Amino acid sequence: MSQINAYRRKFLAALGGVAAAGLASGVIVREVKAASPDVPTRPEDQPVSNKVRWGMLIDINRLTDGGASMVEACKREHGWGNDPKASPEQQAQWMRTVKVTDKLTKHSFTLPVMCQHCEEPPCVDVCPTGASMKRADGIVQVNKHICIGCRYCMMACPYKARSFVHENLTDQRVHSPRGIGTVESCNLCVHRVDKGQLPACVEAAPQAVIFGDLNDPTSRISQAMKALGGSQIRADLSLNTGVRYLGL
Amino acid sequence: MRGLQRIKFALLGLLAIGLVACDAGVPQPNLAPAKAKAAQCVEPTADIRKNHMAYLNVHRDKTVIEGIRSTKHSLNECINCHVAPTREDGSAVHYTDEKKDHFCASCHTYVGVKMDCFQCHADRPEVTKQVNYQHKLSSNTYHLSAQTGQPSAQDWLLLSTPQGARQ
Repeated sequence: MSQINAYRRKFLAALGGVAAAGLASGVIVREVKAASPDVPTRPEDQPVSNKVRWGMLIDINRLTDGGASMVEACKREHGWGNDPKASPEQQAQWMRTVKVTDKLTKHSFTLPVMCQHCEEPPCVDVCPTGASMKRADGIVQVNKHICIGCRYCMMACPYKARSFVHENLTDQRVHSPRGIGTVESCNLCVHRVDKGQLPACVEAAPQAVIFGDLNDPTSRISQAMKALGGSQIRADLSLNTGVRYLGL
Repeated sequence: MRGLQRIKFALLGLLAIGLVACDAGVPQPNLAPAKAKAAQCVEPTADIRKNHMAYLNVHRDKTVIEGIRSTKHSLNECINCHVAPTREDGSAVHYTDEKKDHFCASCHTYVGVKMDCFQCHADRPEVTKQVNYQHKLSSNTYHLSAQTGQPSAQDWLLLSTPQGARQ
């Protein structure tokens, strides 16, 4: 028990940093967002490098709403989920909450599921045009400029993380282009990470989520994972996901 | 011989009249929103007129694949500078509007170019979140796509002017 408490203390200490960063950013007037200490800023003209691998650690026991606020933050950030002509089944879904119940004990928990940013992404394997791609820093995304909308990647993804846009859209978010005939999914808020900011969902649940560089052993996420572990969903597929969970 | 020359001149005259009439029909893109922010485009005018699509194509791959988000050749910055989010009467300006008064549409329609940038990309600056979208081209700290860091003194001045406050 004391060991668990020690783990909790470490996790809380790590999260304290995030909370402090959030408070600090609130002080600055207007929409100038503070850079996060977890996301080192890269010179704007330098390409991303494979020395970094972005990852996320979600402690589902500390998510009081099962991740609903994270999903809402994602919707706001990228503008999905309210496409005017789509039926509820057709709506894009970059991120969702999944409730899991043990048949025997009836114990249940809820976790947010989105693109797991695999090291060996099946969606990239099957893409006929190279639109489904993994960036050097481990972010898996769709290059919509060359996506032909065949939806092979949607079939290949074991996490059901990808969606297809069926209709003409207007007034998309400036930083998150979405459009008819292309597949889309969580891109780990690539536009924010490139500026040294945290993804929108991480900002929405600072008490439960750590974002950072998995390749850097001194980063908070690596430290937390070393101390507490971090399980993958469908670990049997050996995809080495970048999104890890605590408390599954 | 005289008669033939007269006919030639008459024909030339008619051609000239015709050309003038055509010239009057060429739509002029609305440069006013951009001129309010900067005297000069990011590249010389003749160059950007002819090669803007090449610049944009190179930059889009750099951005998506390599994560380079410099503002110089970014489509977002073209839109921020050249397109006012609303018309005088407050209606939204869209690329697909019948009026063809969107900065990009005014030329593309005339020359018969069909491109699909705006099927995905926003075709006007975002005003709901970025109330003070008006900025000077040289002021990097308050560029829409460079939100990190404190705003410079110049930006604060810009905000206090009526131009910065207007929407």
